[in-house]
Amino acid sequence: MKIIELIDVQKIYKTQYYEVHALRGISFDVEKGDFLIIMGPSGSGKSTLLHLIGCLDKPSAGKVLINGVETSKLSDFELTNLRRDNIGFIFQQYNLVSTLTALENVELPMLFKGTPKNLRQKRAKELLELVGLEKEIDRRPNELSGGQQQRVAIARALANSPSVLLCDEPTGNLDSKTGEQIMKIIRDLNEEKGVTVVLVTHDVNLKKFGDTVIHLRDGKIQEVEHVH
Amino acid sequence: MYIDIARRNLERAKIRSVLAVVGIFIGVMAVGAIGIFGESLKVAVMQNFEDVANEIVVYPNPQQGYSYVEDRDIRTIEKIPGVKSAIALRSDALSLEFKNKKIIATVYAMDEKNLKEMFEADKGSIKLSSGSCVVGKRLADFLSLKIGSKITLEGRELKVAAILKDVGARFDINPNFAVLVSEDDFKKISGSEVSMVIVKAESLEDVPEIKKAIEERINKKEEKLIVVEMKMILQTIENAFGQINLFLMAIAAISLLVAGVSILNIMLMSTIERTKEIGVMRAIGAQRSTILKIFITEAAILGLIGSMIGSALSLVGGILIDYAILQDWSYALQPSTVFYIILGLSVGISTAIFSGLYPAWKASKLEPIEALRYE
Repeated sequence: MKIIELIDVQKIYKTQYYEVHALRGISFDVEKGDFLIIMGPSGSGKSTLLHLIGCLDKPSAGKVLINGVETSKLSDFELTNLRRDNIGFIFQQYNLVSTLTALENVELPMLFKGTPKNLRQKRAKELLELVGLEKEIDRRPNELSGGQQQRVAIARALANSPSVLLCDEPTGNLDSKTGEQIMKIIRDLNEEKGVTVVLVTHDVNLKKFGDTVIHLRDGKIQEVEHVH
Repeated sequence: MYIDIARRNLERAKIRSVLAVVGIFIGVMAVGAIGIFGESLKVAVMQNFEDVANEIVVYPNPQQGYSYVEDRDIRTIEKIPGVKSAIALRSDALSLEFKNKKIIATVYAMDEKNLKEMFEADKGSIKLSSGSCVVGKRLADFLSLKIGSKITLEGRELKVAAILKDVGARFDINPNFAVLVSEDDFKKISGSEVSMVIVKAESLEDVPEIKKAIEERINKKEEKLIVVEMKMILQTIENAFGQINLFLMAIAAISLLVAGVSILNIMLMSTIERTKEIGVMRAIGAQRSTILKIFITEAAILGLIGSMIGSALSLVGGILIDYAILQDWSYALQPSTVFYIILGLSVGISTAIFSGLYPAWKASKLEPIEALRYE
């Protein structure tokens, strides 16, 4: 079952003086349960691609389909609901809400969905336990290490049981050992829970975690590599 | 949880939030305290007129050639149902001598009974038999008159039987600088006819009916008399005070406006500072309306706290101003004070929410992708 489908996707950024062709005709599918890694140097368009898949942006041409729904036809309200219910984001800078505790950060996507408080808290606790932070639930982001913050971010991304987890350089701000631990958590989620993962990185060491690696250069797919 | 999120956002810039609250409470306090004072001033002034509210004053109409009210018309008025008394008043400006001082004083001719009903004696007892008179407080002070002093009015000697208490402003007669004598004595020194009839109604509700009856019975053919309801004049004064109060409060509201601008300012800053966080929230599923809700809640919290402190202090402020200007703080303790406290409270909260609308709208309009890229 295709969870993500990209058909000849182009993205052009227009400014007053020039145009930037960030993506020049990208097509690929992601099946349920896949672990896809998108690699490429900076400026290759990999973050742009992730934002299009994450419904944060719309393509200039071509189609992006999430669970068979074409995103460019949706309103802001519908796109937001699609993100909330189907997509979990993990960012390089963790991007937790600094005023909220770990538990509350994990509760947020469920709050936005209107989940009742008791269910919200129960699930948030379970998820924090899953990432090994059951003792840190009342700490705020500034009281947590980078690795711990990224684990909270993973728990938050899983809150509404999304069909796909989008990871933007998830280990970029972590030392190699912690990075390895985070990657293991993500891989376990993929292998054990069947969560579909799309991960963007320029770190070649992460290649081993994926099933498929797409190499991107100058907005085009240069190579598709099947690892496993 | 949204209230919690809003509260914590305010806490992260504590000093800024406290200053915004201070701005609001000063504004609310100014509006409330001035409103309370204005109302007190009105009450204090209106108290002076309380006992004339049920009066109708009748004058001759000089435009139709009438310079006095005829006896026959006075008798007609007395017979109108609801009339408690019709006090015919003759007055004149006559020369008064006392111990080498010679002045021109207003002299009223009055019935002893009516006089007792309308005014109180400060010294002596009110008595208007032939040869005695009653003088106003200020005239007595001016001429150093005492009970038993003998004054000369137009060559006729009269003994001061009483000095009246000082009375506030009135629209019918003002005895403070006047001499009040009996009808008989007046006729001997002046040829003036009745220049004014003070008609007292049994009750306030009878006033319009009495006025109508006078118009119908006496002014049918021509406008012989001018009939003035005191209540109407009092109404006009009350309205004037209401307008003054509104004007004063409008001036006080400027401080609330300034407070509103400061909320607008800090919330705009907050929007910019939290751009990335807004982007994250939008990315993980917050609708525009959710962002709007969080920001407006923040403004409302600032407004609520500021307004509550401000309205509590406005009562204190009102009491202090009343004490300083009217020398009586108890005027602040009346039902209308509650109105001004609630007014201050609601104006304060609305100002804060209104000021938060634009920043909230701006925050909600941020594109998630742009906001996420923001550093």
